[in-house]
Amino acid sequence: MHELTMMQQEEGSSLGRDAWLRLRKNKAAMLGATILLLLILVALLTPWIAPYSYHQQNLLLGASPPSAEHWLGTDVLGRDQLTRIMYGSRVSLMVGFIATAVALIIGVLWGAVAGFLGGRVDAVMMRIVDVLYALPFTIFIILLTVIFGSSMLLLFLAIGAVEWLTMARIVRGQVLTIKRQEFIEAAVSMGLSRWQIIRRHIIPNVLGPIIVYTTLTIPSVILLESFLSFLGLGIQPPQSSWGSLISAGVDSMEEYPWLLLFPALVLSITLFSLNFLGDGLRDALDPRTSKD
Amino acid sequence: MSADVLLSVKHLRVAFHTRNGSMLAVDDVSFELSAGQVLGIVGESGSGKSVACYSLLGLVPTPPGKIESGSAHFAGQDLLQLNEAGLRNIRGNKIGMVFQDPMTSLNPNMRVIDQLIESLRQHQPMDKKTARSKAIAALEEVGIHNAAQRANDYPHQFSGGMRQRVMIAMALIAEPEILIADEPTTALDVTVQAQILALIKKAQVSRKLAVIFITHDLGVAAQIADHILVMQQGRVVEQGPKAQVFERPQHAYTQKLLAAVLTSAKPYPAMTEKTDPVFLQIKHLYTRFYQPRGLFASLFNRNLPGYAKGINDINLTIHKGEILGLVGESGSGKSTLGRSIMQLVDVHSGEVLLQGRDLCQLSASELKGARRHFQMIFQDPYASLNPRMTVFDALAEPLLTHGFADRKTVLEQVHQLMDDVGLDRRFIRKYPHEFSGGQRQRIAIARALALKPKLIIADEPVSALDVTIRAQILALLLELTQKHQLTVLFISHDMSVVRYLCDRIVVMNQGQIVEEGDTETVFTAPQHEYTRTLLAAIPQLPSAKASVSD
Repeated sequence: MHELTMMQQEEGSSLGRDAWLRLRKNKAAMLGATILLLLILVALLTPWIAPYSYHQQNLLLGASPPSAEHWLGTDVLGRDQLTRIMYGSRVSLMVGFIATAVALIIGVLWGAVAGFLGGRVDAVMMRIVDVLYALPFTIFIILLTVIFGSSMLLLFLAIGAVEWLTMARIVRGQVLTIKRQEFIEAAVSMGLSRWQIIRRHIIPNVLGPIIVYTTLTIPSVILLESFLSFLGLGIQPPQSSWGSLISAGVDSMEEYPWLLLFPALVLSITLFSLNFLGDGLRDALDPRTSKD
Repeated sequence: MSADVLLSVKHLRVAFHTRNGSMLAVDDVSFELSAGQVLGIVGESGSGKSVACYSLLGLVPTPPGKIESGSAHFAGQDLLQLNEAGLRNIRGNKIGMVFQDPMTSLNPNMRVIDQLIESLRQHQPMDKKTARSKAIAALEEVGIHNAAQRANDYPHQFSGGMRQRVMIAMALIAEPEILIADEPTTALDVTVQAQILALIKKAQVSRKLAVIFITHDLGVAAQIADHILVMQQGRVVEQGPKAQVFERPQHAYTQKLLAAVLTSAKPYPAMTEKTDPVFLQIKHLYTRFYQPRGLFASLFNRNLPGYAKGINDINLTIHKGEILGLVGESGSGKSTLGRSIMQLVDVHSGEVLLQGRDLCQLSASELKGARRHFQMIFQDPYASLNPRMTVFDALAEPLLTHGFADRKTVLEQVHQLMDDVGLDRRFIRKYPHEFSGGQRQRIAIARALALKPKLIIADEPVSALDVTIRAQILALLLELTQKHQLTVLFISHDMSVVRYLCDRIVVMNQGQIVEEGDTETVFTAPQHEYTRTLLAAIPQLPSAKASVSD
């Protein structure tokens, strides 16, 4: 009976199910996941729960420190800091997750295919990566803005176009070491197709570095967004994002430290949560780390 | 007896403390070593034989390791009480070490001569010139030809056997009193092993050296040691003079070890007759490997003659139901031949006819379908199983891919496979790392059998296993071969295994077949010079060959 129920859950891979069981035991990872879920929830509900509107100014108030009305203070135009951080999280989290997902999908597939097929295919694919690497990023962005104007979609494209390159290189390097192992030969001799081998045997075994790199990519993408917004791609004032709030905060750090402190704090918490979750995921996905 | 005792180890206990609990790796080990004596420490992996010796020189990482108790008296001091500086003075100077893998125990970025000079000047202050001439003399002593020139080479320019010679020169250069050799010949071919053993023996005699020789191979121990110490699970189960241990073993474990050594021929007569139909025929098979030549060369200049070793003009016939042994040393091309038949490497030219069908001519999709008829068992059960797949996943994958089972029946079939290879059904959800080497090889065998193939190519399937486990796996292979009427190509470097298992033998050397014949004929009347060298190099137990002691 027990066997039967286990079989019915089998549909996916048992690695995924085992990983989830292991992840649940990891307190730090579960804390990180909970914080991330809360942040996402707040971001989704912002229009309904935000105390003020993000562009509502109160020039009389000016930049004032945290108070009962404005918990995290106000900026130089008297806009509520908490509200702006909440609205900012919508942009930043979306950019962080979507752009990273784009980079992840393209990068992992590109790297895995190049590494696994090897030879001339690999050489050509990796030279394409090299060429794209060599493209001056700033000029590329300015060109995009000049041609297509400013939009969120373009922002994802631009970030995804850069970030997947590193991912592809990392994955390819890992695949090169994995594919020489005998279990890949065993899979070939079983008559599995190339795609089945990449999906079932190669990618699960390179997940560790992929996850670690992903958790590092998300915060760097969030900061990159503020740079792109500065260049005119992405969000425009009075809209806010964590990146733009932090860069504004840096400018007035000496007079109004809370303008830097709170956005930076939120970003740090996100970063920590991501790292905890990432470490937990990496361990959970490797059956060798658990002994029972 | 006690007058010339050089090293006296008493009640040594070493434990490893990890998050997952503590384990006593060495449990109450005592032995003595006299000048000029060779002590062979024999045991299977995990028996604590290496840990016991490494802990004498403070080479066991602490933590997790911890020396719990005991003493090791050498030259008037207790090695276990010495601090790091004291131990450095002993290591290399008074006690030299040779490690198992000559590929990794030399620094690849340093000239051989510099490594020798470094270890010499560490212990004996002398100017570079003297050190250099001493180093060259040391290399000459271990049989490196043209030592003055070769000394300037880097380790990768030496072969495995030559590197092990360099290691021995390095261990002996400071003229130590004791040499600890940890499986120094395990990574080497059998003919090279014979040379290295002779070299150690020669150095031992001429320098009156005391040697601790750690090995899993009873034959090697019998050849070099005077005294034998048998370890099992951290304990010494038996020790004594060689003749006594081998001829009148007292402990049940020693008897089991000796029984597992394959000295006899196959336990049953060949099942096949010469008249059995030809099952696999190989005609004029060539496989070559191209040296990597960098991007631009491979993109634009495809005609550079960059290929190196491979196999040349192989002609071979395997009859139905036969177990054919393919023997040779590393680099002989035996694995390449196996992989060429499996279509795992690109064949240059020739035919591989499986029941009359040329595998080399099949299209990619035809080949995928045909693959179920021929399966492979790989050498290293640690590398041949995907670490992220459970037993169930690993065995279900071929069944589902080839439509042998659907989601409903697959569990039943996986259970049957596990029964076939003697794996407990309860282990079905476990991952490879939770199994021992022998159990992993059982999983790999079950996976190869899943598709009910007719031909099995087994590439050194037992060489990574302990001797008692090896006997079990060989028995299992024999049983399964009979039960499923398999035809087997058994690739091995180990002549005794081949003699035990195979009906017929093919000997390969440098990419070519040099001899072919019935097992007993090849063993009793070898025709080719190379076969004779191979056979002569096999270490024998005293009971099997009377004239080993010298």
